[in-house]
Amino acid sequence: MAEVQLINLTKRFGRRVLAVDHIHLTVKDREFLVLLGPSGCGKTTTLRMIAGLEEVSEGTILIDGEDVTYLPPRARNVSMVFQNYAVWPHMTVYENIAYPLRLKKVPRDEIDRRVKEVAELTKIAELLDRYPSQLSGGQQQRVALARAIAVKPKVFLMDEPLSNLDAKLRVHMRTELKAIHHQTQATTIFVTHDQSEAMSMADRIVVMREGRIEQVGTPEEVYEKSANMFVASFIGLPPTNFFYTEVRRENDALKLVHPYFTLTLSPEQAARLKDYTKSRLVLGVRPENLLLTTEDQALFSVEAMVVEPQGSHQIIAFQMDDQIVKIVAPAYPKVWPGERIHVTFRPERIRFFDPETQQAVGDEA
Amino acid sequence: MMGTKRARWFSPTLTPYLLVLPVLLYYAAFWLQPVVTVVIQSFRDPVTGAFTLNNFALVLQDKDFWPAFWNTFIIVSISVALEFVVALALSLLIYRRFWGSGIFFFLMLIPMALPPVATGAIWKTGLTAHGWLNSLLIHLGVLAEGKKIYWLGTPRTPKWQLLTLIILVDAWTVIPSVMVILVAGLQNLPREVIEAGYVFGGTYWRVLRDIILPMLRPTIQTAVVLRLISAIQIWLIIVLLFGFSRVPVLVERIVYYHEEVRGLDIAPAMTTGYTVIVAFIVSAAALLYLYLSGAFEGEKAS
Amino acid sequence: MMDPKIQYRLRKAARQMLLYLVVLTITLVIMTPVYFITVLSFLTTREAYEYPLPLYPTFTIRMKMERGKRGYLLSVWDRNEQAYVSVLDTDDADKMRVYMETYLGLKPSNEQVTEVMQKVDATGGQPVYFAWRRHILSNYATFFRVTRDAVPALIRSLQIAALTIAISLSIGGAAGYAFARYRFYGKNALKFSVLFVRMFPGVAIAIPMVIILARIGLYDRPAGLSLLYSVGVIGMTVWITASIFMAIPVSLEEAAMVFGATRLQAFLRITLPLAFPGLAAAAMYAFIGAWNETVAAIILTEFNPTFSVVVYQTLLGATGQVNLTAAGGMAMALPAVVFTFFIRRYIHQMWGGVTV
Repeated sequence: MAEVQLINLTKRFGRRVLAVDHIHLTVKDREFLVLLGPSGCGKTTTLRMIAGLEEVSEGTILIDGEDVTYLPPRARNVSMVFQNYAVWPHMTVYENIAYPLRLKKVPRDEIDRRVKEVAELTKIAELLDRYPSQLSGGQQQRVALARAIAVKPKVFLMDEPLSNLDAKLRVHMRTELKAIHHQTQATTIFVTHDQSEAMSMADRIVVMREGRIEQVGTPEEVYEKSANMFVASFIGLPPTNFFYTEVRRENDALKLVHPYFTLTLSPEQAARLKDYTKSRLVLGVRPENLLLTTEDQALFSVEAMVVEPQGSHQIIAFQMDDQIVKIVAPAYPKVWPGERIHVTFRPERIRFFDPETQQAVGDEA
Repeated sequence: MMGTKRARWFSPTLTPYLLVLPVLLYYAAFWLQPVVTVVIQSFRDPVTGAFTLNNFALVLQDKDFWPAFWNTFIIVSISVALEFVVALALSLLIYRRFWGSGIFFFLMLIPMALPPVATGAIWKTGLTAHGWLNSLLIHLGVLAEGKKIYWLGTPRTPKWQLLTLIILVDAWTVIPSVMVILVAGLQNLPREVIEAGYVFGGTYWRVLRDIILPMLRPTIQTAVVLRLISAIQIWLIIVLLFGFSRVPVLVERIVYYHEEVRGLDIAPAMTTGYTVIVAFIVSAAALLYLYLSGAFEGEKAS
Repeated sequence: MMDPKIQYRLRKAARQMLLYLVVLTITLVIMTPVYFITVLSFLTTREAYEYPLPLYPTFTIRMKMERGKRGYLLSVWDRNEQAYVSVLDTDDADKMRVYMETYLGLKPSNEQVTEVMQKVDATGGQPVYFAWRRHILSNYATFFRVTRDAVPALIRSLQIAALTIAISLSIGGAAGYAFARYRFYGKNALKFSVLFVRMFPGVAIAIPMVIILARIGLYDRPAGLSLLYSVGVIGMTVWITASIFMAIPVSLEEAAMVFGATRLQAFLRITLPLAFPGLAAAAMYAFIGAWNETVAAIILTEFNPTFSVVVYQTLLGATGQVNLTAAGGMAMALPAVVFTFFIRRYIHQMWGGVTV
């Protein structure tokens, strides 16, 4: 098992396009790391550079301290699960799993033992004689997984491996992948654009945008302590609501003035913001941190526009000027469209962002 | 609804058959009918119409039959193998898109698009003693001023030299088009499947042998069988370069008896005899290749 | 040990070099013969008899005229010799004009020739230098003028091609649509008919077609040939059109039908216009097939040859006059190459998809 280090890693396509922009990242031994970001953010390119399928324009890749930047894929001791499975159509399931082992000159009986073992682990033991064309998408994905596990690589690379499966199977496979990772303890780098997939599987998440890393952290960290407005809105569904406010400083107290409300911050929040001198500040409040309350305790009152019942909870949307704000509220009491609702914030869960730099401000050190 | 009433002027399940029917009728009238006609004719005496094997006997006794057969055999076996190997090697070298690949692939289509008579014009004007090939060699300084090479040979030139020349000219005409087929096939292979080969420890040669070529097999079969079929029918370029009867080949014999010596009594018998024999050889060779290359098994498996 | 980065860059550069070297070599090998036939088709007859042949054509003929033994001595600039070479000594203006027309590709009138002669007289026998421009297409014009049947044959070839397009596109296009939109019994078998039909050689169909066409009165007629050519072309048309129709989503037709169109209207109003570029490609493919074909045309024509047969006959009988032969070959090649340029994308696609 191994640690992967990316130092100043950069990928240019042609002269203009900077797909990966000088990133630094250390993947710890046995870690399940997820690269998350919208399409075109450079996450797949990063993964392919680690695999050796994409030429590195600048920077260094270390696996276990060894510089592999210019080594061919076969010399890197990594294995990969591809988005489109990429199982070899002219080989049986058994041959698919055994072929990489034969390339590595593993003895025949050892190959047989390992194939059976991983087939058991990935639950395809009874499919070993079939051809990929006779398998369902989910089964092909398991074959690809079994093939990747069998070679016992230093690092597992997974390129959106679940995105071609249907919704139900995808959720099921998350659990299974996680269980397999628990068993094999292999360092894994997993690429996805699905934030809920990332949240549910990752030890740490790397949020990427336009070739840069926006934040690295555990799922809780990126969710609760989003480093900037992009992360705050990309992670979580519905996304974080943003309120643009004027800052009023009166003695030691800090007041944030919004057309719909004025919020007085607690002394400790004010203390954390004492170095912030700009006049405008963005409040980031996650939908579940907007609370329905009684009229006298409300920060502001608005008319509910749309209500989406979700069974366990309901999502209430209302309009503030041209902005739509969403609340995740308990299923009861039921709210009806057009009903006047009274809203307040869970004060300790409010996050602050600088509207110019979009970065979070006022975090504890 | 009015719409449905109007639309159902025939059963929708019948529609595909009605759409396909004209093709079938056309094939029956202008493919099957001639095929049956010529096969029947070949077993009949051209004058009396009685059943006979004489037509085939005449062909087999023709002094040019075996030379034509062996010439065709040599040209086909060498040129198909050579063209395939060269085209495969080149297509593996260039199948990635590169700067200028669009125009390059068009240039490669040119020899395929050229009408056979235009190809004939190119090589006839090129290979004669005062042709452009010798001229080019003089301009390049390879040939001394005023010297010439008799590419098309003299009456005493050994036959293998003429056959070599034919094979080379044929290769010029055909290799690019085989290459285009193979490159298209390579480009259609899913990229990730090949990359998986490299990630899981394959060198270029192992990936080529174990993954790329097996996956390319259907394309290879198509390219080779089409090549085989048309290679056996080679004749025009030979006649344009050497005239009739100098290097006899099978199809050249058909045209020879049908056009050049049509006054001869045995011409009709020879024509049908040769025709059916050539047709038999072409179909047999194509089917044999498909059988040996496992194309029929593949169909059952998938 | 070398720095792995430098080693990697070197290997990559070497690979690139090899790639472009191969590409360049293939291009040269393919284009050299094409280049020379083009050059030949523009040479004057005098140049065509030179050895070595010039590497490029000229369209300005530099000449010199002076007093000769028998009258006026005409000399022409020779690129190999880098000097004026005497070619004709006569006092007959008409003779000189004919020489210029036949060997130099010029088209002067007798008056123009006489004018130069008078200039020579005026200068008292001093050489007069002059240069006349030649018409670029003079060889092509000459080819069509001197070759018997060339023009009617060209027209016939165009008729045949048009008819072949009509037959194969209507019949093959219908089947292609069925392939793209329906599942039906025998679909796979029909798919391989392309190959199957080709297994029986074209000549072997052409020979009995002599009788069959004679019976229906189409022997030695353009229509007869296009009936035969369509057999080979239809299969490919089915393939091409099927892939074109498949690329147009059924949902577009269905949307039209939801809004009240019949299936036929939906096809005519929605699918057909969208398929037009692809169908044009299929038509060009049919054109090339019919235009290029030679063997069956030789067998199935008697007094009404196609253009390819005419070129074939001039080639077979050609002795010298390579420039005219080349012009014939070029006239034959040009439409096929131009159409190939337009349909190259489809050819690519098609070959990627066609498998046994």
